[in-house]
Amino acid sequence: MRDDGHLPPGLERATELLRDESHVRPEWRAAVMASLDRDEPVSSIRSMRRWSMRPTAAIAAGVLCAIAGGALTFAVTRWSQPARANLAAVDTGRISRVRFTLVAPNASRVSIVGDFNQWNPTTLPMRRSSDGQTWEIEVPLASGRYTYAFFVDGRVARDSAAAESANDGFGTPSSVVLVKGGGGT
Amino acid sequence: MRYLIAGACLMASVARAQAPATLPVQLSAETRVTLQRLLDSARAVGLPTTPLVDKAAEGVIKGADEHRIVVAVETLLHRLSDARDVVGAPASVFLLGATASALQAGVPSSDLKRLASTSPTSTDSRPFVGALVTLVDLIAKHVPRSVATASIEDLLRRRATEDQFLVLRAQVAQDILGGQTPEAAISARTRAYIKTLDGSQPPRSLPSRPPFANGPPQSL
Repeated sequence: MRDDGHLPPGLERATELLRDESHVRPEWRAAVMASLDRDEPVSSIRSMRRWSMRPTAAIAAGVLCAIAGGALTFAVTRWSQPARANLAAVDTGRISRVRFTLVAPNASRVSIVGDFNQWNPTTLPMRRSSDGQTWEIEVPLASGRYTYAFFVDGRVARDSAAAESANDGFGTPSSVVLVKGGGGT
Repeated sequence: MRYLIAGACLMASVARAQAPATLPVQLSAETRVTLQRLLDSARAVGLPTTPLVDKAAEGVIKGADEHRIVVAVETLLHRLSDARDVVGAPASVFLLGATASALQAGVPSSDLKRLASTSPTSTDSRPFVGALVTLVDLIAKHVPRSVATASIEDLLRRRATEDQFLVLRAQVAQDILGGQTPEAAISARTRAYIKTLDGSQPPRSLPSRPPFANGPPQSL
């Protein structure tokens, strides 16, 4: 703007043009207004868009998405859980029943823990044999190498008859069993 | 906005679907976060996470403190990485575990690479895994590392089977219990095996399905 309060000539002309009411042909205006008033069937995509923009629909979509995610998670977890045992089965596809034994006549509870049961002392309890001296269990294992130990009355004990594992980092050695593919004991 | 919600749902589903075996619940939240980072590191470089979760669980049942568990898991992660360098990829988790165990027992990676190249079969890793399990056990029984490694290498070169390695291990253990020195026991047994494997007679092996995983019942 100049000091005298007037716009430059070019800018002045452009401003006047902007102030002018636009001239739209009446038939165009009528056609546009008619199309807006018409109750046209909308396409399925447009319908979905309108539906999904409603708050209740958005919440429902979120719930459905969560359910679908949960289902996907469940399915993948189901497939991946046996991978621990199936890692060797990929090589051979065979399972063996492996028998573990321990002579511990004075023990009251014995179980076996290892890579095959995530070192959980509750999943594979050993049973006392009829002589009352020996504890035993048969564990179905895919072929492979497993580190394990006995859990005797709350204490971890290495199987002295089996191969010893390397330093475990905890100061309590474990044992190693190599399982071959096969069918029975 | 709705695309953002859908994307977040999908990402959450995928992230949960890729979750590994669960860490022991007995560990504190802080330790679990630390261990989870280690698992993420393993996953990022294509290493199996199951042995790491197992190691944490092993530490819990053995009553190790949480710091020690983290150190053990971290050490195993490095061993698994080194093991993959030795045996190459892809390798089964059992082969990686056996190799990592040998590294943990102090066998140099150069020796392990030589043993791996000596192993005659590339498709069946079982003889090599059996050799490594035997090697680690011999070292634990105080057989000098160089002597144990040389024996294993001699037998691998002659295509000793997994069973033969396991029988060798048991025999050496018996010899040591019988009063022989570890070095004398492995040397004598290795010579006998070499003679058998080099001869025309079929190599000895265990029955294919041993009745006991751990030999005759042992007392604590």
